Amino acid sequence: MPDVVVTNLRKEFNGNTVLHEVSFTIKDGEFFTLLGPSGCGKSTTLACLAGLEKPTSGGITVGDTVFVDDKSRKFVPPEERDLGMVFQSYALWPHMTLFQNLAMPLNIRKVPKAEQKQLIHDALDKVGLAHLAKRYPHQLSGGQQQRVALARALVYSPKVLLLDEPLSNLDAKLREQARVWLKRLQSDLGITTVYVTHDQEEALAMSDRIAVMSNGHMMQIATPHEIYEQPATAEVAAFIGRSNFLDGTVVSIDGGTAKVRLEERGEVVNVAVRGISAAGEDVTVAFRPESVRLTASGEVPPEDAIILPVEILTTSYVGSRYEYDLKYGAKTLIVDSQKGALTGQANLVIPADAIRLYPRTDVISEELEELMAVTA
Amino acid sequence: MTTLIDKAQPDHQVEKGPDYPAPRYKRILGADRGTWIFWATIIILAALVLAPVIPTIYQSLIDRPLYEQGGLFTLQNFVNLFTEADFGIVALNTLVFAVLTTVLTLVIAVPLAIVVVRTNIPGRRIFGVSMQWPFFISSLILGFGWITMYGPAGFVSTEVRRLTGGVPWDLYTIPGMALTEAVALAPIAYLFCANALRNSDASLEGAAQTVGAGPFRILRSVVIPMLRPPVVYSFILVFSMSIETLSIPLLYGQPVGITVFSTFLYKNGLQSINPDYGILGAASVIILLVTVLLVAVQAKLLKDAKRFVSVRGKATRPRLLELGWLKWVFVVVITIYVIFGAAIPILGLVFRSFTKVFTPLLNPFESLTMDNYMRIIEFPVYLASIRNSLVVAAVGAVLVSLLATLAVIVARRSTFRYRRLIEYLALAPQAMPGLIIGIGLFWAFAFAPFGLGALIQGTLWAIIIGFGLRALPSAYGSISPAIMQIGEELDNAARVSGADWVRTFTRILGKLLTPAFIAAMILTFVVMLKEYSPAIFLGSAQTNVIGTTMLELWVQGNTGSVAALATIQIAITAAFVFVAGLLTRGKKDA
Repeated sequence: MPDVVVTNLRKEFNGNTVLHEVSFTIKDGEFFTLLGPSGCGKSTTLACLAGLEKPTSGGITVGDTVFVDDKSRKFVPPEERDLGMVFQSYALWPHMTLFQNLAMPLNIRKVPKAEQKQLIHDALDKVGLAHLAKRYPHQLSGGQQQRVALARALVYSPKVLLLDEPLSNLDAKLREQARVWLKRLQSDLGITTVYVTHDQEEALAMSDRIAVMSNGHMMQIATPHEIYEQPATAEVAAFIGRSNFLDGTVVSIDGGTAKVRLEERGEVVNVAVRGISAAGEDVTVAFRPESVRLTASGEVPPEDAIILPVEILTTSYVGSRYEYDLKYGAKTLIVDSQKGALTGQANLVIPADAIRLYPRTDVISEELEELMAVTA
Repeated sequence: MTTLIDKAQPDHQVEKGPDYPAPRYKRILGADRGTWIFWATIIILAALVLAPVIPTIYQSLIDRPLYEQGGLFTLQNFVNLFTEADFGIVALNTLVFAVLTTVLTLVIAVPLAIVVVRTNIPGRRIFGVSMQWPFFISSLILGFGWITMYGPAGFVSTEVRRLTGGVPWDLYTIPGMALTEAVALAPIAYLFCANALRNSDASLEGAAQTVGAGPFRILRSVVIPMLRPPVVYSFILVFSMSIETLSIPLLYGQPVGITVFSTFLYKNGLQSINPDYGILGAASVIILLVTVLLVAVQAKLLKDAKRFVSVRGKATRPRLLELGWLKWVFVVVITIYVIFGAAIPILGLVFRSFTKVFTPLLNPFESLTMDNYMRIIEFPVYLASIRNSLVVAAVGAVLVSLLATLAVIVARRSTFRYRRLIEYLALAPQAMPGLIIGIGLFWAFAFAPFGLGALIQGTLWAIIIGFGLRALPSAYGSISPAIMQIGEELDNAARVSGADWVRTFTRILGKLLTPAFIAAMILTFVVMLKEYSPAIFLGSAQTNVIGTTMLELWVQGNTGSVAALATIQIAITAAFVFVAGLLTRGKKDA
């Protein structure tokens, strides 16, 4: 199965640019997820891949086949792309039985009847619904419909499988099961898969690589682990998992370490620098609630950690841990802890490697700003 | 969809083994099948819509009949129209008639809608259903019925004259015309207001009730203000319909010399021995301008009115208001409208068809006869007109519904660049009065190249094209909402799995639209069965339809046979709707 190469994909709707020069390459057999809040351009990207939208400019290639090319003004319509797609609403044709639903793509491909029967049986069997072939879609539950939609997308062995939020209409419990099941099926088949979702847990659990999008821009493409541990921008850090953000200014840089003055109360902290920061630059300091510790004021802190004096506002028990809302200067921070009895003044201990530094010039969407306001 | 894709590859590639490549679709001149259909649809629609309009405009601007050689451009026709032909008086009559009709229509329809939908008067369901009568009965037949009962020699008039020595009304006046027309149009205005009231938010009224407002207070301060958009819309709709209507002005106004737009065209185009085509063209152009303007206003208002509607998942059912003793007053008023406006004239007409003489002075039961029907059966021309009507309605229903379905799907579910234009074209005939379609097509056939026109002129095809054009907007309007119910992902799924636009249409959309298609066919059949005005110019002796035959018999004074034909038309419509209802219901159960 081939690589999917997307170059400088750009899409405008009535003068509004919803995709800004997006590029990425999906490797053969990879489970690749487009992740982002609604309106970030992930579904438009998928529609361009499927051929349901015509990009304003840019190129799409799958293996040796060019789907979209600017120079030759080539555009292959969806029906000739040989892709499989599962839609959010499943889009099973209501006037056909499951068998007929699966038979339609095979009929179009002129597969002999006997072979069709075998293929349809195999595909339905893969999703555990072979016994329901004569049913109509409305006679099935949501979870079953979703599996039929997948079987229909796979029955003709397409080159690439496109999934447009296929789990979002399932209830929470079913969704978790479907996630595991879908991931296993995908790796068994080894089919190149593009998955669109706004659910970060889903993305982290299933993907080989994740592409985080925001406002039509590609923010970061990396493995789930890297996306979570080393978010490339403050936006990614805000969108994936929870993060605290503090404003600061770089005082000096010494090799791999920068001294940053936190604006809130003027503390100067040492931070490992990965990007290019110059002294005097405004930065955003980010850390995750679960990567820090909370200690009572009296305790002696460890050597190289950053210590911030905080006041505990509220404590809530959320199952396996406690969640603290802390007051640091005028800001509210959120922190996880196994200890539940802390009150009043405390020290927030941030290990040096838990901190990430971002330039403050990052464009942050309003929606994300709200998100950050809640978590930060 | 621009480039040719690897022509070297065979059309459908099927290999042995597990690999089933996507199909390759043929492209003709670089365009796929879908694109060809898009263009075919827009060309057919444009040809149909422009066929009557362009010759009419051309005729209005040249100095001789358009089929004669060497026409010179001139504005003299428009000058003549107002100087010689007294078109000013005609315009004034039309205006007075239309305004009066519109006001009377709203006076009947608006209170009726409020009372039937929002209050607890007894018999609400029956009143609601009985407002659908114009679906079965054309205004031409209603006019015959009214004259039969309330005309100078009508059954009721005669009785009143016998009892009181005089008749306090005169049907053959502009107010008489307007009253009858209002009775015929009231159900349309009623429908708009009733729908608006049904969709309105009950919690608003609940809120008013909790602060102590009584039922009349609620009606005045909450319900009636909310009705403004549908009332304004129906005002324009009824106004434009009364400007183009032919039936009532022809039956009432023509004998006493009251001429409006439509009867002006009728008189100058048909009754004059040597028709002045220039004047006819100029008048048509002016009338067209008026109706186009009104329809444009309607479209604008309808768009604005939609903003008032708050769409919610499940609408709360509005509570019914208690009117106390006053409800009996409303019941009586509504009953008078239904009984005297529609029931008595229609039943009277049916009764008339079975009698020799129809007057209270002679017991009608003593002159019972089947002669009126026998005459129709005995004369092949009359019998043929029934057959013609059925053929036109049946063939037209199928063709118009097919064209409307295609237009809806291209307009709503394609990437065609001019898909909006398709919608405008399909709805454009709304603005074209039947007579003008008739005149325009008549000229178009006379004008058409390669003798194409001569092939169609005088055949049933001419009638089918004329009536079909008139019915196209309602067919389009009945299918268009249905496609909004079908999720777009269903066609996208078909496209991705390998179906091109045409296949998606035939396998998915077409199939899912079948119920809407059948409903559109039923509607179009009924509309075309009642239609007659384009046939006045397009018909020949061999292609009369029921409507034109009724007019012919009426002019001959053969009112008994008119009544018989009217009864036959009503019976056919009712039987058709009944059977169609049974068939579609059976299908739903399966």
